[in-house]
Amino acid sequence: MPKKYETPLLDELEKGPFPSFVTEIKKAAAKSSMAGDELGQLEKSYRDRRGYWKHGGIVGVRGYGSGVIGRYSSLPEEFPEVANFHTVRINSPSAFFYTSDSLRQMCDIWDKYGSGLTNMHGSTGDIILLGTTTDKLEPIFAEFSSRGWDLGGSGSALRTPSCCVGPARCEWANIDTLDLTYNLTQEFQDEMHRPAFPYKFKFKVAGCAVDCIASIARADCSIIGTWRGKIAVNQAEVANYAKSGMNIQSEIVDMCPTKCMSYDGKELKIKDEDCSRCMHCIAKMTKALKPTGEKGATILMGSKAPFVIGATLSWVIVPFIKLEPPYDEFKDLVRKMWEFWDEHGKNRERIGELIIRRGMREFLEFIGVDPVPQQVKEPRRDPFFFWKEEDFQK
Amino acid sequence: MEKEEVKQKIYELVEKSVGKKKLKSSDIQKTVSADAGITRDEVKDALRDLIDEGKLIYTYFGGSFVEIPPKE
Amino acid sequence: MDLPQRRTDIGPPHYKDFLPPVIQKNYGDWKHHEVLSGGVMVHVGNSGDKVWSVRVASPRLLSTDTIREMADIAQKYCGGYLRFTTRNNVEFLVSDEKNLGPLQDELKAKKYMIGGIGPRISNIVHTQGWIHCHSAATDASGLVKALMDDFADYFTTKTLPNKVRLAVACCTNMCGAVHCSDIAIVAIHRKVPKIDHDKVKNMCEVPSTIAACPTGAISPDPGKKSVKINDDKCMYCGNCFTVCPPLEIHDPEFDGVAIVAGGKVGSLRSDPKFSKLVVPFIKNNPPRWPEVIEAVDKILNAYAKDAIKHERVGEWIERIGWEKFFKVTGLPFTFQHIDDFVIARETFRTSPAFKW
Ligand code: HEM
Ligand code: HEM
Ligand code: HEM
Ligand code: HEM
Ligand code: SF4
Ligand code: SF4
Ligand code: SF4
Ligand code: SF4
Repeated sequence: MPKKYETPLLDELEKGPFPSFVTEIKKAAAKSSMAGDELGQLEKSYRDRRGYWKHGGIVGVRGYGSGVIGRYSSLPEEFPEVANFHTVRINSPSAFFYTSDSLRQMCDIWDKYGSGLTNMHGSTGDIILLGTTTDKLEPIFAEFSSRGWDLGGSGSALRTPSCCVGPARCEWANIDTLDLTYNLTQEFQDEMHRPAFPYKFKFKVAGCAVDCIASIARADCSIIGTWRGKIAVNQAEVANYAKSGMNIQSEIVDMCPTKCMSYDGKELKIKDEDCSRCMHCIAKMTKALKPTGEKGATILMGSKAPFVIGATLSWVIVPFIKLEPPYDEFKDLVRKMWEFWDEHGKNRERIGELIIRRGMREFLEFIGVDPVPQQVKEPRRDPFFFWKEEDFQK
Repeated sequence: MEKEEVKQKIYELVEKSVGKKKLKSSDIQKTVSADAGITRDEVKDALRDLIDEGKLIYTYFGGSFVEIPPKE
Repeated sequence: MDLPQRRTDIGPPHYKDFLPPVIQKNYGDWKHHEVLSGGVMVHVGNSGDKVWSVRVASPRLLSTDTIREMADIAQKYCGGYLRFTTRNNVEFLVSDEKNLGPLQDELKAKKYMIGGIGPRISNIVHTQGWIHCHSAATDASGLVKALMDDFADYFTTKTLPNKVRLAVACCTNMCGAVHCSDIAIVAIHRKVPKIDHDKVKNMCEVPSTIAACPTGAISPDPGKKSVKINDDKCMYCGNCFTVCPPLEIHDPEFDGVAIVAGGKVGSLRSDPKFSKLVVPFIKNNPPRWPEVIEAVDKILNAYAKDAIKHERVGEWIERIGWEKFFKVTGLPFTFQHIDDFVIARETFRTSPAFKW
């Protein structure tokens, strides 16, 4: 029988319209004594205004170096059931689609071996199973893997790639984000499970510049779908939008960042060569505007949270690449990037930090990409730069 | 070189650095392939065996490393 | 106990097995979509087929009981198909229009919050906090719950000039996309770690502890067989605590949150932007952090009143200028707002043309 705790502070968070995480912990605590102690420790955190967890350690499943994160209570005497409270990361399916049966299957396993608490999903995109003990890890892995599920990435490894809903339910997808994500995950299983990188590496795949997966802000390699070609305009649908109350001049034309649109009350014109493909007009007038021509993606690299060198957004490395199965050109490019990182990266150095440390030139030359103005917002502001012998030969 | 021999070399390398420097998988691959004149894939393969057998383990400590498991 | 045979390196299940038939049929062949209400949209294929998505909020932290309940609802109305979004919402995927009404009725009866689509506040992306992380300087789930209770109407019905994306990170690791959100809460420590020298001696590897510090503030203290920290260099990141727990970073009296605003990740209209500091510090006040809600409310109200349709928070601020932002929100400007880190020069004003 799980131990009961008085939780006046947390009970306050069961009130109000938004679904309550406290209610979730209590539901799990009705069955699991681990969840019970989690609740007790959390109430203490609310009282003392501080956390009581400790970092990871040597936990995992045989043969893998990632997928499990050790977590220990710093108050094991007071809350013995969460003395060990490890996280298991399960690799989610592309774009987080599930069937009722697959979810029930997961729940059954997790109720048997863990706290019954989950995150759907962690910020990494994994299914997070929150709270189990070291001895349960092998059984959990056997139950999941025998049913077709594998662990996700953690540590200095490829992290679970994730993507936007893409072609499964979005008319704006320029690439098959789900398939690419699945394909990369399968191709790089070894890189996911057996950490051999200097630090973590994340792919996130968005189908267009709307970037519903926030790829540009949180992936070492951001893959963002785009096109080369015109935006086809359906003037009848434009007229419908105008009729239904949209002010096409102020809401669309005036907000176009490149000022490449014009509207005379009848016809919407786009000077396609000046369009930067930002998606504003298309997102607002989805029935009237459709990208046409060649579909592919822009590859950007380097985003990370503010630590050490300050926050970075991913920046353009390859302005346009076709992405069709089996994605060989892209995979070769990725392998070159990793080779560069393997050769020069220090422990805990993200690939973006390395590119900045060694310079874009060295990186681009190594991976065989030419310099183009699309890679920068503006050229440098000073005349202090390096020359190489080969520059004089040109 | 026989795989067993590569495994032996890897293990010795890890053993030697205990208490001095934690080794990453890539450190091991670079050092052993250079010393023994074999490819990195061969080292990787041998290392995988050692880990599958539990003779070496991955640890996480602000970065992932390969170490000898602690004695219980 | 008998266990099934484990397998390795198989990767995730194939997504095709989880797609409803209407999506398999119209995959990559969608024509357009329409937002029907705060929580319902319909996607129409070139074939004429339709799929309705009904979006509900989840606290992300879910018990197996609740997941089973969602699975049962999906079974009843959606042929057993549902998905989760990046922002931790749940979407019930309806292919038979008849089920749309009854599904929403049942969701409402079971107290699910339907919404999050269109120019509204969607669910908050957030991190683990006191529920599960060692570095946390605040609790993410509690803040999220308190904020979303307060802004519930903006999730379900009320609209804003454009969507507003909120995020909460419980330490400066910022495990989510917090640094590019319209409004985000980031927890911070403000005190140099307190060193327990006896424990450091026994538990910590000195070289790794020194290496863990991004600012080079830690050096050996050979006399004590421990380390010392240069107070002037430490920026309270807590990295050293992760590696060496006797370097205690938590300090309930001084830990709390900062608020940043004006970031975005999409490239629509203007380039993706970082969020910038608007409130340097608010003390933790669980369980509901009323001072944080009040500050976010000020920003949101000024934006709702002042922004032009389709402008995101960051675009609005850039148009009116930061000096005006502090005026219309009434938030005080302090020394902490002026950058003194690597990109400081870029943020100083280099023109005498500004507003009063
Ligand atoms: C010194 C740096 C960092 C350390 C020590 C660190 C540590 C951790 C730990 C221990 C967790 C597991 C939390 C848990 O499940 O309880 C975690 C999760 C995570 N980290 Fe980090 N992290 C660091 C930097 C970053 C950075 C820079 C990013 C992103 C740009 C990031 C993204 C994530 C994500 C997305 C998760 C999943 C969080 C979730 O499930 O909500 N981490 N990190
Ligand atoms: C790549 C960096 C730059 C170089 C190499 C450079 C070089 C020069 C040189 C050689 C002169 C002529 C000095 C003289 O008359 O004896 C000059 C003048 C000047 N520079 Fe620059 N400059 C640079 C950037 C800038 C920038 C960024 C600004 C302003 C934002 C600037 C503003 C001026 C002004 C106002 C003058 C005086 C022009 C005049 O007397 O008509 N310079 N610069
Ligand atoms: C942290 C940042 C963001 C996250 C995590 C995020 C996440 C999401 C998610 C999960 C969806 C639902 C898509 C789906 O799966 O059906 C979505 C939809 C959408 N987001 Fe975002 N979003 C973010 C920022 C943005 C930004 C900055 C913009 C625009 C500038 C944006 C524009 C949209 C649009 C237009 C949709 C609707 C797509 C549709 O209806 O199919 N989002 N976002
Ligand atoms: C200098 C570095 C480290 C320090 C200072 C440190 C400190 C600590 C401390 C204080 C505890 C709690 C002990 C207790 O309360 O009984 C602990 C627990 C633990 N640490 Fe570390 N640790 C370090 C490195 C590591 C490393 C590298 C690993 C594994 C790779 C590790 C694995 C563990 C494990 C598994 C536990 C949990 C033991 C238990 O269940 O009680 N630690 N560590
Ligand atoms: S990123 Fe683009 S393609 Fe992907 S779901 Fe969002 S709007 Fe659609
Ligand atoms: S996509 Fe953007 S840049 Fe191109 S026409 Fe539309 S609004 Fe203008
Ligand atoms: S943001 Fe910090 S405290 Fe929160 S989960 Fe990430 S590492 Fe832990
Ligand atoms: S808190 Fe961060 S900056 Fe301060 S000493 Fe520790 S690692 Fe260094």
